[in-house]
Amino acid sequence: MTAPNSTAGIFPLDKPGLLQAYRTMRTIREFEECLHADFAKGDIPGFVHLYAGEEAAGTGIMMHLEDKDRIASTHRGHGHCIAKGVDTSGMMAEIYGKVSGSCRGKGGSMHIADLSKGMMGANGILGAGAPLVCGAGLAAKFRGDGGVAISFVGDGASNQGTFLESLNLAAVWNLPVIFVVENNGYAESTSRDYAVAVDSFVDRAAGFGLPGVTVDGLDFFAVYEAAGEIIKRAREGGGPALLECKMIRMYGHFEGDQQTYRAKGELDDIRANKDCLKMFTQRVMEAGVISRGELDAIDREVVAEIQEASAFAKAAPLPTAADLTTDVYVNY
Amino acid sequence: MARKISMRQAINEALDQEMARDPSVFVMGEDIVGGAGGMGEIDAWGGVLGVTKGLNAKYPGRLLDTPLSESAYIGAAVGAAACGMRPVAELMFLDFMGVCFDQIFNQAAKFRYMFGGKAETPVVIRAMVGAGFRAAAQHSQMLTPLFVHIPGLKVVCPSNAYDAKGLLIQSIRDNDPVIFCEHKNLYGAEVDVPAESYAIPFGEANVVRDGKHATIVTYGMMVHRAMEAAATLAKQGIECEVIDLRTLSPIDWDTVIDSAERTGHVVCVDEAHPRCSIAADVSAMVTQECFKALKGPIQMVTAPHTPVPFSPVLEDLYIPSADAIAKAVKKSMGK
Amino acid sequence: MGNAVGIIANPVSARDIRRVIANATALQITDRANIVLRILSCVKACGVDHVWMMPENGGIRHHVRRGIDRAENQGQKHFPKVEHLDYKISGTVEDTLKAARLMKEKGVAAIVVLGGDGTHRAVVTACGDVPIAGVSTGTNNAFPEHREPTITGLAVGLAVTGKVPASDAYLPNKKIVVRVNGHEEIALVDVAVVTERYIGARALWRTETFRELFVTFADPEVIGMSAIAGLLSPVSRLDEGGLHVRLAPEDEASIILDTPIAPGYMRGIGIRDYVPMKPNHKYRPSIADGSIALDGEREVSFTRDDDVTIELVPNAFRTVNVSGCMQYAAHHGLMRMKPDQKLKRVGGQ
Repeated sequence: MTAPNSTAGIFPLDKPGLLQAYRTMRTIREFEECLHADFAKGDIPGFVHLYAGEEAAGTGIMMHLEDKDRIASTHRGHGHCIAKGVDTSGMMAEIYGKVSGSCRGKGGSMHIADLSKGMMGANGILGAGAPLVCGAGLAAKFRGDGGVAISFVGDGASNQGTFLESLNLAAVWNLPVIFVVENNGYAESTSRDYAVAVDSFVDRAAGFGLPGVTVDGLDFFAVYEAAGEIIKRAREGGGPALLECKMIRMYGHFEGDQQTYRAKGELDDIRANKDCLKMFTQRVMEAGVISRGELDAIDREVVAEIQEASAFAKAAPLPTAADLTTDVYVNY
Repeated sequence: MARKISMRQAINEALDQEMARDPSVFVMGEDIVGGAGGMGEIDAWGGVLGVTKGLNAKYPGRLLDTPLSESAYIGAAVGAAACGMRPVAELMFLDFMGVCFDQIFNQAAKFRYMFGGKAETPVVIRAMVGAGFRAAAQHSQMLTPLFVHIPGLKVVCPSNAYDAKGLLIQSIRDNDPVIFCEHKNLYGAEVDVPAESYAIPFGEANVVRDGKHATIVTYGMMVHRAMEAAATLAKQGIECEVIDLRTLSPIDWDTVIDSAERTGHVVCVDEAHPRCSIAADVSAMVTQECFKALKGPIQMVTAPHTPVPFSPVLEDLYIPSADAIAKAVKKSMGK
Repeated sequence: MGNAVGIIANPVSARDIRRVIANATALQITDRANIVLRILSCVKACGVDHVWMMPENGGIRHHVRRGIDRAENQGQKHFPKVEHLDYKISGTVEDTLKAARLMKEKGVAAIVVLGGDGTHRAVVTACGDVPIAGVSTGTNNAFPEHREPTITGLAVGLAVTGKVPASDAYLPNKKIVVRVNGHEEIALVDVAVVTERYIGARALWRTETFRELFVTFADPEVIGMSAIAGLLSPVSRLDEGGLHVRLAPEDEASIILDTPIAPGYMRGIGIRDYVPMKPNHKYRPSIADGSIALDGEREVSFTRDDDVTIELVPNAFRTVNVSGCMQYAAHHGLMRMKPDQKLKRVGGQ
């Protein structure tokens, strides 16, 4: 009879770990769904790019990281931020352009960052994070602190020169850097089939002498296990690697995207059959390790947290004219 | 204690002294050591014009030769700075900015602002600028205006070895991204430079010559041309005040405005192209601030609106001459 | 002549975690396409005019198409007509199963398979009596023999056109059938029983979890789980039964075997004992809870409440006897060209 918290041999995480994984994925999903609803009402300025449907990948990877480890995200960065531990109220306020936001309203959805948590920012320039992460890896190497750095790109940005140059630089300098390609099949409206010559990101890595692994990005456990090995190897000085997570995104490139580039029924099929959160829930419940009641309790807490974040953001003050010219430089 | 050293040696000394003082300072760039991975000597070059020679032996592991991939390694320098290191990355020729400009103007320049004041990116990007080397169109430009235009960047362009050492030390200690421009034609010029470490603050122009009749505002190699013009004009009884801006962003408006108000005649000299140049920038600002004090329209002396030609006879025509500067001073005085 | 051939080239094999924890290669898509082109030209040279291929979005078919177009542009007629099966690509093993089924329905005389053990297993699950010829392009390639694919293509061409008689051209192969509560899965080389109950990243590398191994053949010259059997007591593909090895943690083991269980990856494996595996006998796992790996990949988990049997089935499927075909061809002068053949080749057929 195994102890109640133990999931020895059934899952690669113990029960608290599984609950944490669920909580993180659920928080991301709730955050993004809340934004989806609020955006439709016209409450949110600018552009948002939602991570809904991709939670298993971000979470499965980030659970192996500490604050000293750095990540650089894409324009679709809310999920990475939440999985890395950035505060949801600060994030929400930032998306609303309020001065209480994580970046004092100066960055917005595409530039949310929290350097204290090793989150080097969502980025509006695709592929720009890859060289930055090489720098973070270089800093970790100089310090000898065992830190790793992870660059997230999409299938589209994997075509950017910055990404390919970074694969080379990381290989040549043996940096503790992991390149994660979140392959959701679309670069805005353009399918990966069209834009990526030879649909194999592992082959791209191999071209620079780096090992690459492809996993089902909808399967939290596959991502968790593969990411664990790759990150451990990098920490121990084994060098860089590439991890491709095959996934879907539930919404458009940006909110407001009519998504006419998708096949008929594609979105319905995604909600019905490719929901990584549903699949995770099913597996942990079928294994008898977590009960519906425990998950419902987390759901309630998460919904409350996001509602609070939303209320906080809506009520928070806007920046003033004085904020316009601050923080251009360190000393003025 | 000062002794005569070249600008090349002064830059080397600044890097040396800062690396000795602060272990988070490191240097990277193409061939800054030279010979990496080959069968010959290491430190084969020490930089394409020898500026970083000898440092590798003193600071093993802190000078990194890079592959030929500016986007990646300039970006890596920016990323390392954002993580608390103080990298000095060399972009061999500022003309190469095209392939890595995003990492400079969209990433490094904007982190502090976009992240609500919570980021510091203390990266220095050293790059060669300027014409006269017969290096032709893609290795000879004065692209300073493109960088000055970007909020969040600081742009420095010394005209001599003394300023080069002090300003580079300041650049490394500064917590913002700095573009440090080294005029390739000034590397050999020697002046008195103190052996000890010293820093020159940003935003402080240097009045290299006092004069009451006209103000010449300039930077870089043009400071020397302006001084030649001033010497010629002095023989004709025209005393020019020559202001060496030293840092283009932040720029010392006070010194320029003060001088303009005293002389009433202003000439802006810039090795950059005429459209949107530093000359145009200073002219507009001075006109706005000192209109009543001006006794004549401000004159701009710049390179022409052409790429830098190769043929020496053409290149020499391209670079603004002392003669052209003197003519412009007279024109501003209605002579 | 109804001697069409099928080619199933898996773009997704050789992409898993063993590239990171071992020194597995990631054979590039372009290399796989290149192998396909080699096989196409050799089957054509033997008189096969029509080839069916599995559709995929991995990039193989585009490279193959370009190779064929380039040859046509240069007036060469080295390649047979290549047609891709028409169905929606899922990017999963379902594509392989569907391809094998459809190729069988279309009456192909043989199927050439490019992949690792997993791919070959999928093809055999669906191809019925259609003989297969394996080319190793996966991570673990215990099943497909290692040889230059050009020769595999040539042997397939000689076999399906009847130039080599069937008795020399094909060999019988064993498989293992695993039934969990009546649901069947097969393995072509090895079935491992491990204590881990999660499927996760599928590959096997945590040796302390290995408990039992059943193999159809035991070749000391291959890597992977079957190397454990191969280095203990070799059993040929043509022998009647297989081998059953019981494993144990090192401190309880009677033998510790230093084994290459992944490319470039040696580990000490604790052995309790080993005996022949009888054909047509239903074995049961020796542990109550765990999972079953088929040909090196975790596929099914089970608990004490599940009914699990493991059975070796002889004469389960056929492979092209490549070395047999080539020996026959050499001894019977099959490759000596007739004068009119020579002319035809030069002018383009």
